[in-house]
Amino acid sequence: MPEGWSGFSFIVTNLARFVRPGEVTFSGVNSTPPMLACLLAKRAYDFEFVYINVAGGVQPVPSKIPISSSDPVLAEGSASIFANEDFYDLCTRGGMDLCFLGAAQVDGLGQTNVSVIGDWHHPKVRLPGGGGGAVMLPTARRAVTWRTEHSRRTLVEKLDFVTAAGGMAGVVTPIAVFVKRDGRLALQSWHPEASLDEVRERTGFAFDAAGASPTALPTQREARALLSLDPEGQFERDARVALR
Amino acid sequence: MPQSKIVSLAEMVARVPDGSSIALGGSFLHRGPFAFVRELIRQRRRNLEIVKQSPGYDIDILCRAGCVGKARAGIVAMEGNFGLAPWYRRAVEKGEIVLEEHACMTLTAGLRASAFGIPFQPVGGVHGSDLAALNHWASILDPYGSGREVWVIPAIRPDIAVIHANEVSAEGDTRVYGTSNWDRIMTRAAKRVFVVAEKLEALESFQKRPELTLVPGFMVEAVAVVPNGAWPGSCWPHYEVDYPAVERYMDTSGSLEEHMASAPEIAEATHA
Repeated sequence: MPEGWSGFSFIVTNLARFVRPGEVTFSGVNSTPPMLACLLAKRAYDFEFVYINVAGGVQPVPSKIPISSSDPVLAEGSASIFANEDFYDLCTRGGMDLCFLGAAQVDGLGQTNVSVIGDWHHPKVRLPGGGGGAVMLPTARRAVTWRTEHSRRTLVEKLDFVTAAGGMAGVVTPIAVFVKRDGRLALQSWHPEASLDEVRERTGFAFDAAGASPTALPTQREARALLSLDPEGQFERDARVALR
Repeated sequence: MPQSKIVSLAEMVARVPDGSSIALGGSFLHRGPFAFVRELIRQRRRNLEIVKQSPGYDIDILCRAGCVGKARAGIVAMEGNFGLAPWYRRAVEKGEIVLEEHACMTLTAGLRASAFGIPFQPVGGVHGSDLAALNHWASILDPYGSGREVWVIPAIRPDIAVIHANEVSAEGDTRVYGTSNWDRIMTRAAKRVFVVAEKLEALESFQKRPELTLVPGFMVEAVAVVPNGAWPGSCWPHYEVDYPAVERYMDTSGSLEEHMASAPEIAEATHA
C-alpha cells in the first residue's frame, strides 16, 4: 500500500474528496481522472451519492474500467439510461450538485479556456473546444477541474479565450488543491513534497493561502480503492503525471 | 406493405450532394457512423459541413481526406489516451476549414430550434463565455418579467442526419442500445435521416416493443446494414473500441489508404 502521494494519486484522490453525501455527481468525456475519482469515492467512502456519467450511466456497476471515460461500459449495471440532453438539462435547471469539467487553462477566478492557445482566429494550438463548460460551469452547483501540469502556462493570470465563466469551485493539480473563496481560487492544501513557495512560483495568478496546509495523506481506504481501480498501474502510466 | 428502404452503403452515400450539412450520431469513438464517413471519402465528397457535439475520428479522417468545408462542433478529440484530433487540428490551424465552435448544449439548442420548428432556442448557461460574442449570439430578457437574461441560439438544420444504430427494420424503425447520445435530437432536426445499422430485424420485433424504438421508420429515408460499421469505434454491446486500429490510424507513417483498406465494410463487400 502506498505511503504517500504520486502526482496521479494526488489528482484522482483529491478530486474524489470533492464528492459529498447525497449529491448528484457527474463525470464527462475526455475525463479519465474524474471517472476514476467517482468510482474511487464509491469504493472508499461510506456515504451514498448519485453517480451519473456521459455514457448514460446512473449508479452504474461497470464490469471493467475503460480507457475512454465515455465508454458505454460505464452504463453497465445502470437501471436507466440518462442520455446527453437529460444530464445537460438537469444541470441547467440546477439539479447537478457536482460536475467535473476539463480545462486547458484556468485563471484566478476559476474561469476556463478549452478552445485555443493564441488568437482564436489565428490559433497557435487549436484545442478540443467548448464541450460542456460554457453551459455547465455557470449552471452546476459546483464544478471542479484538474490539470496534470501545474505551471504558469496552465494556471494563468489571463486566459487566451474565456470558453467558460462562472468559476470553478475546485482545481486539483499534481501539487495543489484550490477551492473558491470570495469569488477567487484560494489554496486549500499542497502536496507534502512541494511547498507553498513552490505553488506560488509555479502559479500564474495570485491567490490567498490563508489556512492552507500540506494535503492529508491518502487514507488506507482511498489508497486501496485506487489500487483496485488501477491494479496494473496502467492508468497511472498513461496519465504521465509528473510532480515537476 | 411499406416499401423496403434498404440500400447499399454506396447507394446511400451517392444520395449526399457535395456541400451538404451532415449531422453525425454517436460520440467520440462510440457508435459513430464511421463506415458511412469512410464511404464519403471513397466517393470524394467535398465541402461538407459536419454537425456534431463531440466528433473525433469522423471529423479527423474527413479533414485528412479533404472532404470538410465547415465544422459546427462542441468538443473535438480522439479521447482515451489519444488526445487531440491531429488532422482536424491542422485543418483549423491552417484555415483550411471554417470552425463554428459551440458548447455541446448550444449546438443542441440550435438543433432543438429546428426540431421545434422555430427560428431560435433559449439555452441555459453561456453567461460570461467568449463563445457568445464569437458566434454573434443574442441574449433576451425574460419577457415574463423574472429579470433573467437568457442566451438564444439560431436554428441549426442539417440536410441529413446519419446515425449508426444497433438494429433497424427494412421500414426504417431504429433501435439503439445503451445511450443514444445526441442521436434523437439530430434525427428530429435534420431534413433527411439515414440509418446505418449492425443488424436487420423484422418489423414484428419493433411492433412488440415500440417503446424501444428511437426513430420511427416514417422519418427515415434510407437504411444500410453494415456489421461492424462503427469500427474502429465501439458499438455497445456488440464490440468495443479497436484501440490498436486507432493507434495505427494515428501513426502518421501509415497511409490513409492502408487504414481505409482495413475497414470491415470492405471485407463485407468482398464477401458479398
